[in-house]
Amino acid sequence: MPRSKPYGRGRLGVAALAAVVVALAGCGIQIPADPDGTLDSVENGTLRVGVAAEPGLAEYHDGEAAGTLVDVAHRFAQELNADIEWSSHSEERLVAMLEGDDLDLALGGFTDSSPWSDRVGMTRPVTGIPGTDDPIVMLVPMGENAFLDALERHLDAETTS
Amino acid sequence: MNLAGYCQGTHEHLPEEQRKAQRSAIRLQIVTVVYTVVTIVLVVLVMGSSQAMKTAWIEDMLSLLPQLAFFIALFFIRKPSSVRHPYGQHRAMGIGHLVAGVALLTVGASLVVQSSISLITAEHPTIGTVTLFGEAVWLGWLMIAVMAVTAVGPPILGRMKAKVAAKLHNKVLFADADMMKADWHTNIATILGVFGVGIGLWWLDATAAIVISVGIIADGLRNTKSALADLMDRRARTYDGEEPHPVTRSVLRVARDATWAQEAGVRVRDQGQVLHIELFVVPALNHVELEWFGPLIDAVRDIDWKIHDVVIVPTDPLPPYADTDKQVSRGRP
Repeated sequence: MPRSKPYGRGRLGVAALAAVVVALAGCGIQIPADPDGTLDSVENGTLRVGVAAEPGLAEYHDGEAAGTLVDVAHRFAQELNADIEWSSHSEERLVAMLEGDDLDLALGGFTDSSPWSDRVGMTRPVTGIPGTDDPIVMLVPMGENAFLDALERHLDAETTS
Repeated sequence: MNLAGYCQGTHEHLPEEQRKAQRSAIRLQIVTVVYTVVTIVLVVLVMGSSQAMKTAWIEDMLSLLPQLAFFIALFFIRKPSSVRHPYGQHRAMGIGHLVAGVALLTVGASLVVQSSISLITAEHPTIGTVTLFGEAVWLGWLMIAVMAVTAVGPPILGRMKAKVAAKLHNKVLFADADMMKADWHTNIATILGVFGVGIGLWWLDATAAIVISVGIIADGLRNTKSALADLMDRRARTYDGEEPHPVTRSVLRVARDATWAQEAGVRVRDQGQVLHIELFVVPALNHVELEWFGPLIDAVRDIDWKIHDVVIVPTDPLPPYADTDKQVSRGRP
């Protein structure tokens, strides 16, 4: 069987990797990034939020959203200088909309044991949302990691202050 | 006067050098197991939904199999031969080897399928942040850190194991060492995959996972092939399978030096860590005396510690499948 020379090729690999990292850092690429540019379109634009009704946390009546999670979304949108476009659907419909890039964020009584975890991205569970004792997660499109990053940092700031 | 036409060593009679090698092999295996378990725990802590991380994690767990096979086999190969097991139980090493190889093959194949499905269905891996000392950190950085740190050990351990494997003529250990020496490929692939996700190239993750899975399949093939060859009683080869074992030639030389021997042929099979030898001798005269056997048996046994079992068969003619020097020197069969 052919003899490999692990150290020689290893150094080369590491060097190549380091070069790529330095080059990308030089170009000012953001890490993590969104493959589909969700954060870009939300910032100074529109945040499309879907609500799965959960009393106290997220409700939707006559075009008006209310609840503690809705308040969180309002402050997040404010931070990104975004307008919110609200809608209300069943959980399943919200998940399908996230998959189809028709929605940026879904709110409701979701927890980290949600069965949708292989179809959508989830924030870390946050505790301390008024109106519930459960650790709550929000749903985002899969793999939009810059957007998720921004949202999780906002949630951290909300729950620690 | 020794009149026996056979002899069989006990396995505890390793020379000092091999005894030392065996001890350091056991030590190395224990260190490897501990290192691997720590790696497995670290990786699962930061795994997230990266396909490459998941694949690397499964590979880490699979890499425990050869170790496990080694320890189980060690228990069996020490048992002396009996009527029930007339060849001893050295084959345990080969069986463990085969099981490990087949496991690598099947799991590797299933991982290729999973990773390909991820790639084809364009599943974008979601990697969020974690809180570390009150600060939100992108989990991908932790994955890369874990992969970079855990890449260091296996090549070093692999090198040490390869040396010991050569001394012990142990193929399980050798295949294991070979795998460990190449283990950093997995880490580099995973780092590239996760980094790809970081810069928005979601497909790099699944691609890295496929590369890792193909590596697992290659490991499986190599192990299975080598284990099968021994279990099928292929002519004995060196521990790395590169060439016919030189012991064959030495045995023939010793046999031909016996004054009563006109021609000699040999059949050597590899029992895992030791060799079993059937020596066919064509006597110069038409009769043999039992007294001639003892000195020849002793001379053959003294050639190498690996020679564990010797049987002398006086015969004329030699069996056509017996190794004679001529065939050996004609090169690879």
